[in-house]
Amino acid sequence: MKALVVDDEPLARLELRRLLAAFPWVEIVGAAGNIDEARARIEELTPDVVFLDIQMPGGTGFDLLTQLERVPRIVFTTAYDQYAVKAFEVNALDYLLKPIEPERLAATLLKIQATPAPGVAAANAPLEQLFIRDGPRCWFVPLREVSVFTADGNYVRLLWGKERPLLGRSLSALEEKLDPKRFFRVNRSQIVNLDFIRRVETGDGGRLHVSMRDGPEIEVSRRQARLFRARATVE
Amino acid sequence: MRETSLGYWALQLAGWGFYFYAQASGEVIFASVPWSQATALWGGVSLAGIGLTHGMRWSIRHHGWLALPPAALLGRVIAGALLVSTVSYLITLALSQAVYGTAVAPITAAFYKRLTVAGQLRNQFIIAVAVHGAWVAAYLAVAMQRHRYRAEVRQAQLGEALRAAELRLLKSQLNPHFLFNALNGLRALIADEPARARDAVTHLARTLRYTFAASDEDFVSLERELEMVDDYLALESLRLAERLAVERDIEPAARGARIPAMLLQTLVENAIKHGIAALKEGGTLRITARVQAKELVLKVVNPRPAQDTPATSEGVGLRNSSERLRLLFGRNASLGLDLTQAGLATAEVRLPL
Repeated sequence: MKALVVDDEPLARLELRRLLAAFPWVEIVGAAGNIDEARARIEELTPDVVFLDIQMPGGTGFDLLTQLERVPRIVFTTAYDQYAVKAFEVNALDYLLKPIEPERLAATLLKIQATPAPGVAAANAPLEQLFIRDGPRCWFVPLREVSVFTADGNYVRLLWGKERPLLGRSLSALEEKLDPKRFFRVNRSQIVNLDFIRRVETGDGGRLHVSMRDGPEIEVSRRQARLFRARATVE
Repeated sequence: MRETSLGYWALQLAGWGFYFYAQASGEVIFASVPWSQATALWGGVSLAGIGLTHGMRWSIRHHGWLALPPAALLGRVIAGALLVSTVSYLITLALSQAVYGTAVAPITAAFYKRLTVAGQLRNQFIIAVAVHGAWVAAYLAVAMQRHRYRAEVRQAQLGEALRAAELRLLKSQLNPHFLFNALNGLRALIADEPARARDAVTHLARTLRYTFAASDEDFVSLERELEMVDDYLALESLRLAERLAVERDIEPAARGARIPAMLLQTLVENAIKHGIAALKEGGTLRITARVQAKELVLKVVNPRPAQDTPATSEGVGLRNSSERLRLLFGRNASLGLDLTQAGLATAEVRLPL
Protein backbone atom coordinates (compact mmCIF):
# COMPACT_ATOMS: atom_id res chain seq x y z
CA MET A 1 0.00 0.00 0.00
CA LYS A 2 1.48 3.32 -1.14
CA ALA A 3 1.11 6.17 1.35
CA LEU A 4 1.71 9.90 1.07
CA VAL A 5 2.21 12.09 4.14
CA VAL A 6 0.97 15.68 3.90
CA ASP A 7 1.73 18.00 6.83
CA ASP A 8 3.33 21.42 7.01
CA GLU A 9 5.24 20.58 10.20
CA PRO A 10 8.51 18.68 9.64
CA LEU A 11 8.30 17.10 13.10
CA ALA A 12 4.77 15.89 12.45
CA ARG A 13 5.89 14.28 9.17
CA LEU A 14 8.82 12.66 10.96
CA GLU A 15 6.54 11.34 13.68
CA LEU A 16 4.10 9.82 11.22
CA ARG A 17 6.90 8.25 9.17
CA ARG A 18 8.21 6.66 12.32
CA LEU A 19 4.79 5.36 13.31
CA LEU A 20 4.18 3.96 9.83
CA ALA A 21 7.55 2.18 9.88
CA ALA A 22 5.92 -0.39 12.17
CA PHE A 23 3.77 -1.53 9.25
CA PRO A 24 6.13 -3.01 6.62
CA TRP A 25 3.31 -3.40 4.10
CA VAL A 26 2.82 0.37 4.04
CA GLU A 27 5.27 2.06 1.72
CA ILE A 28 5.73 5.80 2.20
CA VAL A 29 6.19 7.01 -1.36
CA GLY A 30 6.56 10.67 -0.49
CA ALA A 31 5.69 13.68 1.64
CA ALA A 32 4.42 17.20 1.09
CA GLY A 33 4.38 20.35 3.20
CA ASN A 34 1.54 22.24 1.54
CA ILE A 35 -1.38 21.54 -0.74
CA ASP A 36 0.28 22.53 -4.00
CA GLU A 37 3.12 20.09 -3.37
CA ALA A 38 0.57 17.53 -2.25
CA ARG A 39 -1.46 17.82 -5.44
CA ALA A 40 1.66 17.32 -7.57
CA ARG A 41 2.77 14.29 -5.52
CA ILE A 42 -0.67 12.70 -5.67
CA GLU A 43 -0.86 13.04 -9.45
CA GLU A 44 2.68 11.82 -9.91
CA LEU A 45 2.82 9.01 -7.34
CA THR A 46 -0.86 7.87 -7.27
CA PRO A 47 -0.76 6.86 -3.60
CA ASP A 48 -3.39 4.48 -2.25
CA VAL A 49 -3.78 6.49 0.91
CA VAL A 50 -2.99 10.07 1.86
CA PHE A 51 -2.44 11.15 5.47
CA LEU A 52 -3.67 14.70 5.28
CA ASP A 53 -3.29 17.54 7.79
CA ILE A 54 -6.11 20.08 7.74
CA GLN A 55 -4.53 23.41 8.71
CA MET A 56 -1.74 24.18 6.28
CA PRO A 57 -0.32 27.34 4.75
CA GLY A 58 -1.75 28.21 1.35
CA GLY A 59 -4.91 26.17 1.78
CA THR A 60 -6.52 23.52 3.97
CA GLY A 61 -6.73 19.77 3.42
CA PHE A 62 -10.32 20.33 2.31
CA ASP A 63 -9.13 22.78 -0.34
CA LEU A 64 -6.79 20.10 -1.67
CA LEU A 65 -9.63 17.61 -2.03
CA THR A 66 -11.73 20.00 -4.08
CA GLN A 67 -8.81 20.46 -6.48
CA LEU A 68 -8.19 16.78 -7.09
CA GLU A 69 -9.53 15.05 -10.15
CA ARG A 70 -9.36 11.67 -8.47
CA VAL A 71 -9.43 11.53 -4.70
CA PRO A 72 -7.44 8.70 -3.15
CA ARG A 73 -8.30 7.22 0.22
CA ILE A 74 -7.93 10.03 2.78
CA VAL A 75 -7.04 9.83 6.46
CA PHE A 76 -7.14 13.24 8.09
CA THR A 77 -4.53 13.84 10.77
CA THR A 78 -5.46 16.69 13.03
CA ALA A 79 -4.60 18.20 16.37
CA TYR A 80 -8.04 19.62 17.05
CA ASP A 81 -10.10 19.78 13.85
CA GLN A 82 -11.98 16.55 14.39
CA TYR A 83 -15.16 18.66 14.47
CA ALA A 84 -14.44 19.84 10.96
CA VAL A 85 -13.98 16.24 9.84
CA LYS A 86 -17.13 15.13 11.63
CA ALA A 87 -18.98 17.90 9.86
CA PHE A 88 -18.92 15.79 6.74
CA GLU A 89 -22.52 15.44 5.84
CA VAL A 90 -23.00 11.85 4.83
CA ASN A 91 -20.00 9.59 4.79
CA ALA A 92 -17.71 9.68 7.75
CA LEU A 93 -14.04 9.86 6.93
CA ASP A 94 -11.15 8.39 8.79
CA TYR A 95 -9.27 10.75 11.02
CA LEU A 96 -6.45 10.43 13.50
CA LEU A 97 -5.87 12.83 16.37
CA LYS A 98 -2.37 14.11 16.91
CA PRO A 99 -0.38 12.96 18.83
CA ILE A 100 -1.32 9.80 16.95
CA GLU A 101 -1.81 6.63 18.99
CA PRO A 102 -0.14 3.59 17.38
CA GLU A 103 -3.20 1.40 18.12
CA ARG A 104 -5.57 3.83 16.39
CA LEU A 105 -3.23 4.01 13.41
CA ALA A 106 -3.13 0.20 13.19
CA ALA A 107 -6.93 0.00 13.31
CA THR A 108 -7.25 2.63 10.59
CA LEU A 109 -4.74 0.86 8.34
CA LEU A 110 -6.54 -2.46 8.76
CA LYS A 111 -9.83 -0.82 7.89
CA ILE A 112 -8.34 0.69 4.75
CA GLN A 113 -6.86 -2.65 3.75
CA ALA A 114 -10.23 -4.33 4.14
CA THR A 115 -12.08 -1.90 1.88
CA PRO A 116 -10.69 -1.42 -1.62
CA ALA A 117 -10.03 2.21 -2.37
CA PRO A 118 -12.23 3.69 -5.05
CA GLY A 119 -9.85 6.26 -6.44
CA VAL A 120 -6.83 4.23 -7.52
CA ALA A 121 -8.17 2.86 -10.82
CA ALA A 122 -6.32 3.64 -14.03
CA ALA A 123 -6.23 7.28 -15.03
CA ASN A 124 -8.65 6.82 -17.91
CA ALA A 125 -11.21 4.86 -15.89
CA PRO A 126 -14.47 6.69 -15.25
CA LEU A 127 -14.92 8.70 -12.07
CA GLU A 128 -16.67 6.93 -9.24
CA GLN A 129 -16.82 9.60 -6.59
CA LEU A 130 -16.40 13.31 -6.22
CA PHE A 131 -15.37 15.50 -3.33
CA ILE A 132 -17.67 18.50 -3.21
CA ARG A 133 -17.57 21.49 -0.95
CA ASP A 134 -20.57 23.76 -1.08
CA GLY A 135 -20.33 26.60 1.40
CA PRO A 136 -19.50 25.19 4.81
CA ARG A 137 -20.57 21.66 3.96
CA CYS A 138 -18.46 18.92 2.40
CA TRP A 139 -19.35 15.58 0.89
CA PHE A 140 -17.76 12.59 -0.73
CA VAL A 141 -20.41 11.84 -3.33
CA PRO A 142 -20.55 8.36 -4.87
CA LEU A 143 -21.58 9.16 -8.44
CA ARG A 144 -23.77 6.07 -8.89
CA GLU A 145 -26.08 7.63 -6.26
CA VAL A 146 -26.51 10.85 -8.22
CA SER A 147 -29.67 10.96 -10.29
CA VAL A 148 -29.32 14.16 -12.36
CA PHE A 149 -26.55 16.66 -13.10
CA THR A 150 -27.89 20.06 -14.13
CA ALA A 151 -25.79 22.95 -15.45
CA ASP A 152 -26.02 25.99 -13.19
CA GLY A 153 -24.07 28.82 -14.78
CA ASN A 154 -20.55 27.48 -15.19
CA TYR A 155 -21.13 24.95 -12.42
CA VAL A 156 -23.11 21.79 -11.98
CA ARG A 157 -25.90 21.15 -9.48
CA LEU A 158 -26.20 17.54 -8.38
CA LEU A 159 -29.45 15.83 -7.49
CA TRP A 160 -28.26 13.39 -4.85
CA GLY A 161 -30.87 12.02 -2.45
CA LYS A 162 -32.06 14.97 -0.40
CA GLU A 163 -28.94 17.02 -1.13
CA ARG A 164 -28.36 19.50 -3.96
CA PRO A 165 -24.62 20.20 -3.79
CA LEU A 166 -23.00 22.52 -6.33
CA LEU A 167 -19.87 21.26 -8.08
CA GLY A 168 -17.30 23.80 -9.24
CA ARG A 169 -16.83 22.37 -12.75
CA SER A 170 -18.61 22.73 -16.05
CA LEU A 171 -21.07 20.10 -17.24
CA SER A 172 -18.99 19.30 -20.33
CA ALA A 173 -15.80 18.81 -18.31
CA LEU A 174 -17.68 16.53 -15.96
CA GLU A 175 -19.30 14.57 -18.81
CA GLU A 176 -15.89 13.50 -20.13
CA LYS A 177 -15.04 11.88 -16.80
CA LEU A 178 -18.32 10.09 -16.22
CA ASP A 179 -19.02 6.44 -16.92
CA PRO A 180 -20.78 6.44 -20.35
CA LYS A 181 -22.47 3.16 -19.49
CA ARG A 182 -24.31 4.79 -16.61
CA PHE A 183 -24.69 8.46 -17.50
CA PHE A 184 -26.30 10.04 -20.54
CA ARG A 185 -26.39 13.65 -21.70
CA VAL A 186 -30.10 14.12 -22.44
CA ASN A 187 -29.96 17.79 -23.41
CA ARG A 188 -27.71 20.86 -23.36
CA SER A 189 -27.92 21.35 -19.64
CA GLN A 190 -28.55 17.94 -18.12
CA ILE A 191 -26.98 14.52 -17.64
CA VAL A 192 -29.08 11.72 -16.16
CA ASN A 193 -28.19 8.50 -14.39
CA LEU A 194 -29.82 5.72 -16.46
CA ASP A 195 -30.26 3.60 -13.33
CA PHE A 196 -32.62 6.23 -11.95
CA ILE A 197 -35.01 6.32 -14.91
CA ARG A 198 -38.48 5.10 -13.99
CA ARG A 199 -40.39 5.71 -17.21
CA VAL A 200 -39.85 7.11 -20.69
CA GLU A 201 -42.84 8.62 -22.49
CA THR A 202 -43.38 10.16 -25.88
CA GLY A 203 -45.01 13.55 -25.44
CA ASP A 204 -46.55 16.06 -27.86
CA GLY A 205 -44.68 16.36 -31.13
CA GLY A 206 -42.80 13.14 -30.56
CA ARG A 207 -40.66 14.62 -27.81
CA LEU A 208 -39.22 12.12 -25.33
CA HIS A 209 -39.85 12.70 -21.61
CA VAL A 210 -37.92 10.87 -18.95
CA SER A 211 -39.29 10.64 -15.44
CA MET A 212 -36.77 9.91 -12.73
CA ARG A 213 -37.33 7.69 -9.71
CA ASP A 214 -36.69 10.60 -7.37
CA GLY A 215 -39.10 13.01 -8.99
CA PRO A 216 -38.04 15.24 -11.82
CA GLU A 217 -39.40 15.04 -15.35
CA ILE A 218 -36.72 15.71 -17.93
CA GLU A 219 -37.05 16.39 -21.62
CA VAL A 220 -34.65 14.74 -24.06
CA SER A 221 -33.50 17.13 -26.77
CA ARG A 222 -34.28 16.25 -30.39
CA ARG A 223 -30.58 15.87 -31.14
CA GLN A 224 -30.06 13.31 -28.39
CA ALA A 225 -33.38 11.47 -28.77
CA ARG A 226 -32.17 9.07 -31.45
CA LEU A 227 -29.04 8.19 -29.48
CA PHE A 228 -31.13 7.81 -26.36
CA ARG A 229 -33.57 5.42 -28.08
CA ALA A 230 -30.62 3.33 -29.25
CA ARG A 231 -29.27 3.21 -25.70
CA ALA A 232 -32.67 2.46 -24.21
CA THR A 233 -33.30 -0.50 -26.50
CA VAL A 234 -29.89 -1.92 -25.75
CA GLU A 235 -30.54 -1.75 -21.99
CA MET B 1 -45.96 30.52 39.63
CA ARG B 2 -49.00 28.24 39.56
CA GLU B 3 -48.39 27.13 43.11
CA THR B 4 -48.00 30.74 44.17
CA SER B 5 -51.40 31.58 42.70
CA LEU B 6 -53.00 28.56 44.37
CA GLY B 7 -51.60 29.48 47.79
CA TYR B 8 -52.56 33.10 47.32
CA TRP B 9 -56.17 32.30 46.45
CA ALA B 10 -56.50 29.83 49.33
CA LEU B 11 -55.30 32.46 51.82
CA GLN B 12 -57.39 35.17 50.18
CA LEU B 13 -60.62 33.15 50.40
CA ALA B 14 -59.88 31.89 53.92
CA GLY B 15 -59.11 35.40 55.18
CA TRP B 16 -62.08 37.14 53.64
CA GLY B 17 -64.34 34.18 54.51
CA PHE B 18 -63.36 34.52 58.14
CA TYR B 19 -63.91 38.29 58.03
CA PHE B 20 -67.33 37.80 56.46
CA TYR B 21 -68.35 35.21 59.07
CA ALA B 22 -67.09 37.25 62.03
CA GLN B 23 -68.85 40.43 60.90
CA ALA B 24 -72.11 38.81 59.77
CA SER B 25 -72.48 36.54 62.85
CA GLY B 26 -71.59 39.46 65.13
CA GLU B 27 -74.24 41.56 63.49
CA VAL B 28 -76.86 38.79 63.87
CA ILE B 29 -76.00 38.28 67.56
CA PHE B 30 -75.38 41.83 68.79
CA ALA B 31 -77.74 43.82 66.54
CA SER B 32 -80.43 41.10 66.23
CA VAL B 33 -80.76 41.43 62.46
CA PRO B 34 -81.76 38.48 60.25
CA TRP B 35 -78.94 36.43 58.58
CA SER B 36 -80.15 37.37 55.11
CA GLN B 37 -79.51 41.08 55.66
CA ALA B 38 -76.15 40.53 57.44
CA THR B 39 -75.07 38.21 54.62
CA ALA B 40 -76.04 40.77 51.97
CA LEU B 41 -74.02 43.55 53.63
CA TRP B 42 -70.86 41.64 54.72
CA GLY B 43 -70.89 39.27 51.77
CA GLY B 44 -70.82 42.30 49.52
CA VAL B 45 -68.10 44.03 51.54
CA SER B 46 -65.95 40.84 51.61
CA LEU B 47 -66.32 40.29 47.86
CA ALA B 48 -65.36 43.92 47.29
CA GLY B 49 -62.41 43.37 49.63
CA ILE B 50 -61.23 40.43 47.53
CA GLY B 51 -61.47 42.52 44.37
CA LEU B 52 -59.76 45.57 45.89
CA THR B 53 -56.88 43.69 47.49
CA HIS B 54 -56.40 41.66 44.34
CA GLY B 55 -56.09 44.95 42.47
CA MET B 56 -53.51 46.02 45.05
CA ARG B 57 -51.55 42.81 44.44
CA TRP B 58 -51.69 43.36 40.69
CA SER B 59 -50.32 46.86 41.16
CA ILE B 60 -47.46 45.67 43.38
CA ARG B 61 -46.47 42.96 40.94
CA HIS B 62 -47.08 44.84 37.72
CA HIS B 63 -45.06 47.89 38.74
CA GLY B 64 -42.32 45.83 40.38
CA TRP B 65 -42.69 47.61 43.75
CA LEU B 66 -40.83 44.84 45.58
CA ALA B 67 -37.63 45.83 43.83
CA LEU B 68 -37.94 49.46 45.03
CA PRO B 69 -35.91 50.91 47.92
CA PRO B 70 -37.73 50.67 51.29
CA ALA B 71 -38.91 54.31 51.51
CA ALA B 72 -40.39 54.32 48.02
CA LEU B 73 -42.04 50.95 48.62
CA LEU B 74 -43.53 52.09 51.95
CA GLY B 75 -44.92 55.34 50.48
CA ARG B 76 -46.63 53.53 47.61
CA VAL B 77 -47.99 50.76 49.81
CA ILE B 78 -49.44 53.17 52.42
CA ALA B 79 -51.06 55.29 49.72
CA GLY B 80 -52.45 52.15 48.07
CA ALA B 81 -53.77 50.76 51.36
CA LEU B 82 -55.50 54.10 52.18
CA LEU B 83 -57.10 54.25 48.74
CA VAL B 84 -58.34 50.67 48.99
CA SER B 85 -59.65 51.27 52.56
CA THR B 86 -61.51 54.41 51.49
CA VAL B 87 -63.20 52.64 48.59
CA SER B 88 -64.13 49.71 50.85
CA TYR B 89 -65.48 52.17 53.44
CA LEU B 90 -67.68 53.90 50.83
CA ILE B 91 -68.95 50.53 49.62
CA THR B 92 -69.85 49.60 53.20
CA LEU B 93 -71.79 52.88 53.59
CA ALA B 94 -73.67 52.39 50.35
CA LEU B 95 -74.49 48.72 50.99
CA SER B 96 -75.62 49.39 54.57
CA GLN B 97 -77.83 52.22 53.31
CA ALA B 98 -79.34 49.89 50.74
CA VAL B 99 -79.87 46.93 53.11
CA TYR B 100 -80.78 48.65 56.41
CA GLY B 101 -81.51 52.23 55.43
CA THR B 102 -78.65 53.53 57.66
CA ALA B 103 -75.09 54.40 56.62
CA VAL B 104 -73.72 53.00 59.89
CA ALA B 105 -73.76 49.21 59.82
CA PRO B 106 -75.84 47.75 62.70
CA ILE B 107 -72.83 45.90 64.14
CA THR B 108 -70.92 49.19 64.42
CA ALA B 109 -73.90 50.93 65.94
CA ALA B 110 -74.27 48.05 68.46
CA PHE B 111 -70.59 48.16 69.45
CA TYR B 112 -70.34 51.93 69.77
CA LYS B 113 -73.79 52.70 71.24
CA ARG B 114 -72.59 55.72 73.15
CA LEU B 115 -70.95 57.47 70.23
CA THR B 116 -72.58 59.95 67.93
CA VAL B 117 -73.27 58.92 64.32
CA ALA B 118 -70.18 60.89 63.26
CA GLY B 119 -68.06 58.97 65.80
CA GLN B 120 -69.52 55.66 64.62
CA LEU B 121 -68.71 56.51 60.99
CA ARG B 122 -65.14 57.44 61.97
CA ASN B 123 -64.70 54.10 63.74
CA GLN B 124 -66.17 52.29 60.74
CA PHE B 125 -63.47 53.95 58.60
CA ILE B 126 -60.70 53.05 61.07
CA ILE B 127 -61.82 49.41 60.98
CA ALA B 128 -61.68 49.40 57.17
CA VAL B 129 -58.14 50.84 57.32
CA ALA B 130 -57.11 48.25 59.92
CA VAL B 131 -58.49 45.30 57.92
CA HIS B 132 -56.91 46.34 54.63
CA GLY B 133 -53.71 47.46 56.33
CA ALA B 134 -53.40 44.00 57.91
CA TRP B 135 -53.96 42.43 54.50
CA VAL B 136 -51.22 44.51 52.91
CA ALA B 137 -48.78 43.81 55.75
CA ALA B 138 -49.35 40.05 55.52
CA TYR B 139 -49.05 40.11 51.74
CA LEU B 140 -45.82 42.12 51.81
CA ALA B 141 -44.25 39.86 54.41
CA VAL B 142 -44.73 36.77 52.26
CA ALA B 143 -43.99 38.46 48.93
CA MET B 144 -40.79 40.11 50.14
CA GLN B 145 -39.49 36.88 51.62
CA ARG B 146 -40.15 35.18 48.31
CA HIS B 147 -38.57 38.06 46.39
CA ARG B 148 -35.41 37.88 48.46
CA TYR B 149 -35.23 34.10 48.01
CA ARG B 150 -35.53 34.43 44.23
CA ALA B 151 -32.85 37.13 44.16
CA GLU B 152 -30.52 34.83 46.06
CA VAL B 153 -31.17 32.01 43.62
CA ARG B 154 -30.52 34.34 40.70
CA GLN B 155 -27.30 35.52 42.35
CA ALA B 156 -26.17 31.92 42.69
CA GLN B 157 -26.99 31.23 39.03
CA LEU B 158 -25.10 34.33 38.01
CA GLY B 159 -22.05 33.14 39.91
CA GLU B 160 -22.35 29.79 38.19
CA ALA B 161 -22.50 31.47 34.78
CA LEU B 162 -19.46 33.56 35.65
CA ARG B 163 -17.46 30.50 36.57
CA ALA B 164 -18.51 28.81 33.31
CA ALA B 165 -17.37 31.90 31.39
CA GLU B 166 -14.03 31.83 33.17
CA LEU B 167 -13.59 28.20 32.22
CA ARG B 168 -14.38 28.98 28.59
CA LEU B 169 -11.86 31.80 28.67
CA LEU B 170 -9.23 29.47 30.06
CA LYS B 171 -9.94 26.93 27.35
CA SER B 172 -9.65 29.55 24.64
CA GLN B 173 -6.40 30.82 26.15
CA LEU B 174 -5.01 27.31 26.23
CA ASN B 175 -5.57 26.98 22.49
CA PRO B 176 -5.97 23.21 22.06
CA HIS B 177 -4.69 23.35 18.51
CA PHE B 178 -1.38 24.71 19.69
CA LEU B 179 -1.22 22.36 22.65
CA PHE B 180 -1.81 19.12 20.75
CA ASN B 181 0.48 20.10 17.90
CA ALA B 182 3.21 20.88 20.44
CA LEU B 183 2.70 17.48 22.08
CA ASN B 184 2.86 15.80 18.68
CA GLY B 185 6.14 17.52 17.84
CA LEU B 186 7.43 16.58 21.26
CA ARG B 187 6.62 12.93 20.65
CA ALA B 188 8.71 13.06 17.47
CA LEU B 189 11.65 14.67 19.27
CA ILE B 190 11.86 12.24 22.17
CA ALA B 191 13.72 9.47 20.31
CA ASP B 192 15.96 11.57 18.06
CA GLU B 193 16.79 14.61 20.12
CA PRO B 194 16.11 13.96 23.80
CA ALA B 195 17.84 17.18 24.86
CA ARG B 196 15.59 19.32 22.68
CA ALA B 197 12.62 17.31 23.89
CA ARG B 198 13.52 18.10 27.51
CA ASP B 199 13.77 21.81 26.70
CA ALA B 200 10.44 21.67 24.93
CA VAL B 201 8.78 20.14 27.99
CA THR B 202 10.15 22.99 30.09
CA HIS B 203 8.82 25.60 27.65
CA LEU B 204 5.46 23.90 27.57
CA ALA B 205 5.23 23.68 31.36
CA ARG B 206 6.11 27.35 31.73
CA THR B 207 3.64 28.40 29.06
CA LEU B 208 0.85 26.43 30.74
CA ARG B 209 1.73 27.70 34.21
CA TYR B 210 1.65 31.30 33.04
CA THR B 211 -1.66 30.79 31.24
CA PHE B 212 -3.29 29.18 34.27
CA ALA B 213 -2.06 31.90 36.60
CA ALA B 214 -3.11 34.85 34.45
CA SER B 215 -6.58 36.25 34.91
CA ASP B 216 -8.27 39.23 33.39
CA GLU B 217 -7.30 41.67 36.14
CA ASP B 218 -3.68 40.67 36.46
CA PHE B 219 -0.87 42.98 35.54
CA VAL B 220 2.69 41.87 34.92
CA SER B 221 5.87 43.61 33.88
CA LEU B 222 6.55 43.62 30.16
CA GLU B 223 9.74 41.73 30.96
CA ARG B 224 7.76 38.87 32.55
CA GLU B 225 5.30 38.75 29.66
CA LEU B 226 8.22 38.62 27.20
CA GLU B 227 9.60 35.57 29.00
CA MET B 228 6.28 33.85 28.43
CA VAL B 229 6.27 34.94 24.78
CA ASP B 230 9.77 33.45 24.40
CA ASP B 231 8.62 30.11 25.81
CA TYR B 232 5.67 30.16 23.47
CA LEU B 233 7.77 31.08 20.45
CA ALA B 234 10.26 28.32 21.27
CA LEU B 235 7.41 25.82 21.01
CA GLU B 236 6.12 27.36 17.80
CA SER B 237 9.64 27.11 16.35
CA LEU B 238 9.52 23.37 16.92
CA ARG B 239 6.44 23.28 14.79
CA LEU B 240 7.29 25.85 12.14
CA ALA B 241 11.07 25.20 12.10
CA GLU B 242 12.85 27.56 9.71
CA ARG B 243 9.59 29.20 8.66
CA LEU B 244 9.57 31.28 11.84
CA ALA B 245 12.10 34.02 12.53
CA VAL B 246 11.74 36.48 15.40
CA GLU B 247 13.17 39.98 15.82
CA ARG B 248 12.79 41.88 19.06
CA ASP B 249 13.46 45.51 19.75
CA ILE B 250 12.58 46.35 23.34
CA GLU B 251 13.57 49.73 24.76
CA PRO B 252 15.17 49.31 28.20
CA ALA B 253 12.78 51.91 29.65
CA ALA B 254 9.82 49.81 28.53
CA ARG B 255 10.87 46.60 30.24
CA GLY B 256 9.50 47.51 33.64
CA ALA B 257 6.15 48.79 32.33
CA ARG B 258 3.07 47.06 33.75
CA ILE B 259 0.79 45.51 31.18
CA PRO B 260 -2.29 43.28 31.43
CA ALA B 261 -1.14 39.65 31.52
CA MET B 262 -1.49 37.72 28.23
CA LEU B 263 -1.95 40.92 26.21
CA LEU B 264 1.27 40.73 24.18
CA GLN B 265 0.93 36.94 24.05
CA THR B 266 -2.47 37.27 22.37
CA LEU B 267 -1.02 39.59 19.73
CA VAL B 268 1.88 37.21 19.06
CA GLU B 269 -0.39 34.17 18.86
CA ASN B 270 -2.62 35.99 16.43
CA ALA B 271 0.37 37.01 14.29
CA ILE B 272 1.53 33.40 14.04
CA LYS B 273 -1.86 31.82 13.50
CA HIS B 274 -3.14 34.18 10.83
CA GLY B 275 0.19 35.39 9.47
CA ILE B 276 3.30 33.28 9.56
CA ALA B 277 1.76 29.82 9.91
CA ALA B 278 -0.53 30.61 6.98
CA LEU B 279 2.43 31.34 4.69
CA LYS B 280 4.28 28.52 2.95
CA GLU B 281 7.59 30.30 3.25
CA GLY B 282 6.83 31.65 6.73
CA GLY B 283 8.38 34.99 7.70
CA THR B 284 9.76 37.25 10.38
CA LEU B 285 7.78 38.29 13.44
CA ARG B 286 8.81 41.69 14.81
CA ILE B 287 8.06 42.75 18.35
CA THR B 288 8.89 46.30 19.41
CA ALA B 289 8.25 48.19 22.63
CA ARG B 290 8.84 51.92 23.12
CA VAL B 291 8.02 54.58 25.65
CA GLN B 292 6.60 57.68 23.98
CA ALA B 293 5.09 60.64 25.83
CA LYS B 294 4.13 58.67 28.97
CA GLU B 295 2.71 55.88 26.88
CA LEU B 296 3.92 52.37 26.30
CA VAL B 297 3.68 51.52 22.59
CA LEU B 298 3.80 47.80 21.73
CA LYS B 299 3.94 46.69 18.12
CA VAL B 300 3.71 43.25 16.59
CA VAL B 301 4.38 43.17 12.85
CA ASN B 302 4.07 40.05 10.73
CA PRO B 303 3.74 39.06 7.08
CA ARG B 304 0.39 37.59 6.10
CA PRO B 305 -1.17 35.99 3.01
CA ALA B 306 -1.58 38.89 0.60
CA GLN B 307 -4.85 37.89 -1.02
CA ASP B 308 -6.47 37.11 2.31
CA THR B 309 -9.26 39.28 3.53
CA PRO B 310 -9.16 39.11 7.31
CA ALA B 311 -11.06 36.07 8.49
CA THR B 312 -13.83 36.63 10.99
CA SER B 313 -12.06 34.50 13.58
CA GLU B 314 -9.01 36.73 13.30
CA GLY B 315 -10.90 39.46 15.03
CA VAL B 316 -12.14 37.48 18.01
CA GLY B 317 -8.93 37.30 20.04
CA LEU B 318 -8.09 40.93 19.34
CA ARG B 319 -11.64 42.08 19.96
CA ASN B 320 -11.55 40.44 23.39
CA SER B 321 -8.24 42.13 24.14
CA SER B 322 -9.57 45.45 22.93
CA GLU B 323 -12.66 45.12 25.13
CA ARG B 324 -10.48 44.20 28.07
CA LEU B 325 -8.32 47.30 27.58
CA ARG B 326 -11.45 49.43 27.44
CA LEU B 327 -12.65 47.99 30.76
CA LEU B 328 -9.26 48.45 32.40
CA PHE B 329 -8.26 51.87 31.04
CA GLY B 330 -11.31 53.47 29.44
CA ARG B 331 -10.27 55.78 26.63
CA ASN B 332 -6.65 55.98 27.78
CA ALA B 333 -5.57 52.80 26.01
CA SER B 334 -6.04 51.54 22.47
CA LEU B 335 -5.48 48.48 20.35
CA GLY B 336 -5.44 48.67 16.57
CA LEU B 337 -4.83 46.17 13.79
CA ASP B 338 -3.57 47.77 10.61
CA LEU B 339 -4.11 45.66 7.48
CA THR B 340 -3.83 48.47 4.93
CA GLN B 341 -0.48 47.23 3.64
CA ALA B 342 -0.85 44.19 1.43
CA GLY B 343 0.84 41.15 2.87
CA LEU B 344 1.57 42.82 6.20
CA ALA B 345 -0.26 43.04 9.50
CA THR B 346 0.63 45.53 12.23
CA ALA B 347 -0.96 45.29 15.65
CA GLU B 348 -0.35 48.26 17.90
CA VAL B 349 -1.22 48.74 21.56
CA ARG B 350 -0.94 52.00 23.47
CA LEU B 351 -1.09 51.91 27.26
CA PRO B 352 -0.76 54.72 29.82
CA LEU B 353 2.35 54.28 31.95
